[in-house]
Amino acid sequence: MSQAKKLRKMLAEPGIIRAPGAYDAWSARLIEKAGFPAVYMTGYGLSASLIGRPDIGLLSLTEMAGEGKNIAAAVDIPVIADADNGYGGLLNVVRTVQEYERAGLAAIQLEDQVMPKRCGHMEGKQIIPKEEMAAKIRAACYARKDPDTVLIARTDARAVIDFDEALARAALYAEAGADVLFVEAPQSVEELQTIANTIHKPLLANMVEHGKTPMLTGKELEAIGFKIVIYPVTTLYTVTQAMMDMLKKVKQDDTSKHDTKHMVAFPDFNEMIGLDAIRELERSFMK
Amino acid sequence: MTNKKKFRELLAAPDILVLPGVYDAFSAKMAEKAGFSGVIMGGYQVAASMLGEPDVGYVSLTEMTFSLRNICNAVTIPVVSDGDTGYGNAMNVRRMVREYENAGTAAILLEDQVWPKKCGHMEGKKVISREEHVMKIKAAAEAKKDPDLVIIGRTDARAVNGLDDALDRARSYAEVGADMLFVEAPQSLEEMKRIVSVLKPLGKPLLANMVEHGKTPGLTANDLQDIGFDAVVFPVSAIYAMAQTLMKLFAVLKQNGTTASLADTMMSFTEFNQLIGLPAYTAMEETYTVRS
Repeated sequence: MSQAKKLRKMLAEPGIIRAPGAYDAWSARLIEKAGFPAVYMTGYGLSASLIGRPDIGLLSLTEMAGEGKNIAAAVDIPVIADADNGYGGLLNVVRTVQEYERAGLAAIQLEDQVMPKRCGHMEGKQIIPKEEMAAKIRAACYARKDPDTVLIARTDARAVIDFDEALARAALYAEAGADVLFVEAPQSVEELQTIANTIHKPLLANMVEHGKTPMLTGKELEAIGFKIVIYPVTTLYTVTQAMMDMLKKVKQDDTSKHDTKHMVAFPDFNEMIGLDAIRELERSFMK
Repeated sequence: MTNKKKFRELLAAPDILVLPGVYDAFSAKMAEKAGFSGVIMGGYQVAASMLGEPDVGYVSLTEMTFSLRNICNAVTIPVVSDGDTGYGNAMNVRRMVREYENAGTAAILLEDQVWPKKCGHMEGKKVISREEHVMKIKAAAEAKKDPDLVIIGRTDARAVNGLDDALDRARSYAEVGADMLFVEAPQSLEEMKRIVSVLKPLGKPLLANMVEHGKTPGLTANDLQDIGFDAVVFPVSAIYAMAQTLMKLFAVLKQNGTTASLADTMMSFTEFNQLIGLPAYTAMEETYTVRS
């Protein structure tokens, strides 16, 4: 079964889909290993990982789709992929959807920010007119070769205009053909509840630590009526902290030997990354 | 000498610098063989060659850089590159300049169209405000690693707001660090002369663009030199000639099931190998062969 079909099945079944953020193929594999049913590919994380720069729209479609391909190839669960604003106008959206599908990504998330965009929880966002975004959603539907590919429409209007505008936009994008709606950065539980009461399509909630939305558990979000919850930056922030701590310690101690308890051991890492399995495969070819 | 320095010298020389447009490494190599001192890689041609798509802002920074690097590696002459709009705002411009400079370009064109852009001679162009593009040019100038890198400030305002605005813009771009100026698509000889008389006093080299069947009258390099331009690009000539040649070839092959009637119009096996540089590789291989 294709990953897109798998995701569609999950959307149709009861229960919320929990998708932590991956910023490269290895973090995606760890998410899969930990037993999550889906991976969220984050532009914020990719921008940090690939070019060491903030999420202000510097990455190109080629870079996003290229890394998306690595991530999708590394796991056997659906990848929900951030496609920012589709990297331009309507025609760019068409190309983005096709490149993402070819990369093996199961869901494509498009947002109504202007080009270049910025992270949804940053200040100074700007959005395009809602009719223009509805046209982008229609372009994305048209571009989809696999009808199972899930289109997620995100609106950033909550921060830029107001909550009512965000709701109106979500409804419009749903009508234009989006399969899943994502109202970015609601500011209270009431707002989350209102979204769930108003929009009658699968809904995505975004849990960003220290972001603008209250942090709820998957169960709580499910009870409100959400179908997918993403934790886009959780892995990235954790890894960053761990790495900084370790590097500081190594610099200070002039050795890394005191801190091995905070590290995965060599044989364990090899096991995790699948060295044994791949060696076994290699042996199987040699009679 | 770096290619950037070389390019600056060519601009300063009395003769006009003629830059044919190339669309890949091989076409760049042919231009060099034909004796040109520089080439220009345009987004229009790369979109066609790499993606088979029109120039509507499809090609990403990564794809342009990839193609540019191949072209720069294939030739020894300076390569002028098309940075389009910089693929976003001033921050994107900075990244584009860094990427292109690393790829080996000698000069970068940066235009004031709205992203996603259109080819300069297409209808329905839109431009960003002068102030916004001033900031982009400033960002580009400040992103240079080597001060010899040439930033070409291009304005598409002629078609949108008229020539006066285009000239004002060019002047503003020069003030904040454009090393060379390019007013796209003037519509008459008078307009071309006016560009030179207004902008020449700024002391920056001026670029003319000869697009066959475009909006600007077709002139020779000599004519343009007489008017006062320092460089001229013929961006699409190669890809149009290539398109025509291949269409003709494929039509004949489809119809006749053979290319025999066209054999004389093709390069021979030996000639092609010569052109692509096989003899040098054969000689090199010889040097590295282990002899017992």
